Amino acid sequence: MDARLRRVNKEIADCKNDKTSNIRIELIDESPFHLKGSFPGPDGTPYEGGHFEVDIVIPESYPFQPVKMKFITKVYHPNISSASGAICLDILKDAWSPVLTLKSTLISLQSLLCSPEPNDPQDAEVAKHYSTSKSSFEDTAIYWTQIYAGGPGPKEKKGKGSSRSDVRDEVAIAGLEKAHVDQFEALGFQRSKVIDVLRRLNYRGANVAQITDDRVVEELLK
Amino acid sequence: MSSDYEFSDDDGDYYDDEEMLDGTQEDDMDMDAFGEDFKVVPKGKHKAYEVEYDSLSQAAVEKLMKQDVDHICGIFGVDVSTANLLLRYIKWNKERLIEKYMDNPTTMLVAAGVIVPEASSQPAPAPIRTHSSTSSGFHIPKSLKPKVEEPFVCPICFDDDTSIQTLALDCEHTFCFGCWTAYVNSKIRDEGEHSIRCMAEGCALVAPDPFIRSILIPEPGAPKTWDRFQELLVRQFVACNNDLKFCPYPSCTNTVSCPSASSKASLATVVPTVSCGALREHMFCFGCPIESDHRPVVCGVARMWLKKCRDDSETANWIKSNTKECTNCQSTIEKNGGCNHMTCKKCKHEFCWVCMGPWSEHGTAWYSCNRFDEKTGVDARDAQSKSRASLERYLHYYNRWANHEQSAKLSLDLYAKTEKKMEDMQITSALTWIEVQFMKKAVEEVDKCRMTLKWTYAMAYYLAKGNQKDLFEDNQRDLEKAVEDLSELLESPIEAENIPTLRQQVTNKTVYVQKRNEIVLEDTANGFVEGRWKWNITVEGFDDPESD
Ligand SMILES: [Zn+2]
Ligand SMILES: [Zn+2]
Ligand SMILES: [Zn+2]
Ligand SMILES: [Zn+2]
Ligand SMILES: [Zn+2]
Ligand SMILES: [Zn+2]
Repeated sequence: MDARLRRVNKEIADCKNDKTSNIRIELIDESPFHLKGSFPGPDGTPYEGGHFEVDIVIPESYPFQPVKMKFITKVYHPNISSASGAICLDILKDAWSPVLTLKSTLISLQSLLCSPEPNDPQDAEVAKHYSTSKSSFEDTAIYWTQIYAGGPGPKEKKGKGSSRSDVRDEVAIAGLEKAHVDQFEALGFQRSKVIDVLRRLNYRGANVAQITDDRVVEELLK
Repeated sequence: MSSDYEFSDDDGDYYDDEEMLDGTQEDDMDMDAFGEDFKVVPKGKHKAYEVEYDSLSQAAVEKLMKQDVDHICGIFGVDVSTANLLLRYIKWNKERLIEKYMDNPTTMLVAAGVIVPEASSQPAPAPIRTHSSTSSGFHIPKSLKPKVEEPFVCPICFDDDTSIQTLALDCEHTFCFGCWTAYVNSKIRDEGEHSIRCMAEGCALVAPDPFIRSILIPEPGAPKTWDRFQELLVRQFVACNNDLKFCPYPSCTNTVSCPSASSKASLATVVPTVSCGALREHMFCFGCPIESDHRPVVCGVARMWLKKCRDDSETANWIKSNTKECTNCQSTIEKNGGCNHMTCKKCKHEFCWVCMGPWSEHGTAWYSCNRFDEKTGVDARDAQSKSRASLERYLHYYNRWANHEQSAKLSLDLYAKTEKKMEDMQITSALTWIEVQFMKKAVEEVDKCRMTLKWTYAMAYYLAKGNQKDLFEDNQRDLEKAVEDLSELLESPIEAENIPTLRQQVTNKTVYVQKRNEIVLEDTANGFVEGRWKWNITVEGFDDPESD
């Protein structure tokens, strides 16, 4: 049997048999070389309670070349592209070692959620947010976890004793700018609707220049 | 420290003597034979537009590398593999290596991946390692203890066959032979990587050459991978040395050494066109990424021009088109040779392909198709006509540039046609094969001159107005005219009775064209050395344009 196939099959089986870990690897279709990995967001982080899915592509020369991974679930994190899910992590590039496995790599992704590396950003806008205002960044990350990863949202977090920011700024949480929301609200749309649309359009940072006002209004009218 | 050199002293002396003798003799000859009156370029001395360089084979570069390695071996008392890893790590900067190594050898050896760091000599266990000689808690030196305590399972392929052959670097991270082979091949072939680290996670040890060789040599098809590995090493060495450049042509492994063009400053005075020596076509610029001869214009201006052409390609696209309409009867005419003198098949109207003006105005009396009339620019009043004037100005130069590029491409056809003519001539006349070579020589010369002309338009576009530019364009015009004449001659029909005349004409014209080309190249090159050329735009290494 092909060495790559043997190794991947064993990795999938080992992961299934390991009852202690919370990492899952599933087939997407018949191919054992295109998989879906998933894991819970780590406790004590803005990703707590979320369920994160990762697209896994196993290259021809695996395990001698690194596995290709990107987030399927949208994640608000300095080292993960908020638009494409692309991940900036050394072991997926030159620090890859053939002894690493799909499971150990997914565990590394899980721990990447615990320890962002804003000096080596994948998403410059998010990294800027992280460095300038950590608490505002965390609010947005919690919000994204709730919206995209099925997280519990800010309420449960508050129950854990955090007295911080009782009056949450919805706009900041969504990672948007107040001026942008005000601008479209002034056109007569409902504030919550504006926030929803701008969030869906990823109306942030450099993206703002790419998205015309007409496009936003079009979405608002839907 | 000299005892490690490759050549014995005897050999060295022998060659030195002979070379010295040769050199002296030649110098004397030159001095005696030619007095001050004769303007003959001394043998061995280059023309103003040529740069001195050497082409080196891969083996020759490997010899240079070996000299550095031997030098380091001699100073540090290390083996060849170690010296290699150290030099590759420090990017072949010997002085820096010596300084850092003298400061702290251990740090350097660890950084270069030669030895395992002292403090953490216990390698960090990799997440899924099923076999580890250090995790069992007791330490028995490898040599005393055969590895029998538990069956070996390769941590990569999970193979647990008892007969499996295993390998490890000094760190003792053990993997099966098959995995090592696949890994080394993948690193070299897929990644083009010459520094091959241990496969264990976080282990920074680098596989020395004998280790890689032992893996690759028994592999079928491995000599190829081993050769590729050698080439990667040479490429790294060349990339680390400003005096060297690897030939950019695919699958060529030659290197050019050109110390006189290794500094950025030198590129304001020389255009370092070099050839790797492997094939005649392997011509490229030592100073910039342009993979052809861009004389007479310097690298900075040539690159600026290419960028402008790329940026403005939309606007200028129509010019590239290979067909045009006759200005007289509007029927479509296709250009199929290098000559700019077009004759409409339908109405027999003669015109210039470049400016579309009647050919009669281009005749012998005055040929001004190369010079843009700057007055149109001066007359421009409002912003709109100014921008149109600037576009027209650009198109004037671009048009001529693109035309020569196009004509040079069509010269392949011209070659084929000429070859056919040469065959015909051997049949219809008494000329021998040798005697009809004048046609081939003429085609080659036209080709070469079109290359020069092409770049003169890039140069003229950026030259500041004034006497110098006028002189430059006079030379350009003379060459342009000569090339067109020769080009036209080559396309004229051949009849048996006019062959001797044609031969005479073509030969004369070829010599003349050669001379004109020489003048353009030589004068432009001298101008750079004398600092004569001024630009209408800021060019790196030159004075800023004078504001008028
Ligand atoms: Zn193996
Ligand atoms: Zn190791
Ligand atoms: Zn070459
Ligand atoms: Zn150049
Ligand atoms: Zn016509
Ligand atoms: Zn013309």
